[in-house]
Amino acid sequence: MNKAIDALETGHQFSATSFVLDEEAVARYLEAVEDEALPRLAQAEGKAWVPPMAVAAMALRSLMEEMVLPAGAIHGSQELGFVRAVEASERITCRAWLSHRSQRAGWWILAVGMEGTDESGQPVLTGRLTVMVPR
Amino acid sequence: MRQEAIGKERWVVGAELPSLAKTLSQEKIDRYARASGDFNPIHVDPAFAAQTPFGGTIAHGMLLLAYLSEMLTAAFGQAWLSGGRLKVRFKGAARSGETVAIGGHVQRVQEGHEGRRLWCDVGCLNQQGEVLVAGQAEVKL
Repeated sequence: MNKAIDALETGHQFSATSFVLDEEAVARYLEAVEDEALPRLAQAEGKAWVPPMAVAAMALRSLMEEMVLPAGAIHGSQELGFVRAVEASERITCRAWLSHRSQRAGWWILAVGMEGTDESGQPVLTGRLTVMVPR
Repeated sequence: MRQEAIGKERWVVGAELPSLAKTLSQEKIDRYARASGDFNPIHVDPAFAAQTPFGGTIAHGMLLLAYLSEMLTAAFGQAWLSGGRLKVRFKGAARSGETVAIGGHVQRVQEGHEGRRLWCDVGCLNQQGEVLVAGQAEVKL
């Protein structure tokens, strides 16, 4: 369900979402970002690694499905922690919460904490982002 | 094993990370939008973006972070994928047609019982030398 920013209070927990990046999606992502390093590493180790930033991007996408952000929203900062490497076709569940909301000079300043976990509930990704949204 | 040890010794304060250069185009921005599912019109709708303070479309911040991640993967391999941390601010917009330089250097090294922990200053600049992304990456070797 989409949530209007006006209705969000600090501490709000967004609905958990989940996603799977299969090998086709990983290939599409690698082509889009022209990453040559990850395929070399994955091939050397015989693993179907997912680029860590692809996991982060999908976590953000699932979060954005929960928030109504107007078209002029700007990504201000990003913190990420990659707890362990994710392999293609793993299901990741993303939980996110509004950790801060304030107003400044015609903008909403939002900070959102997030965590991605694997199917056993173990964290694979942690993060915090700030978004500036025109009021 | 020996190669890994040599690799670790390479990372001393001041050591440069393997820099990258990427030239942006609207086609690449659109391709990233399809791969990530982020179709914010500021990235993919030139008519909309022309009416914003940016005056035109800009690349996704997460695309620039993907470039940083490529550099960090090339530098640190598995240590980046498992245990890497990144903290950045988006300071400027990257536009279609610009060439973005991605670089960084080791800023601090701490030896401990669990190994060597590195903090690296990392960032992206455009060809005018304007900082687009700046921050710090952390890895444990």
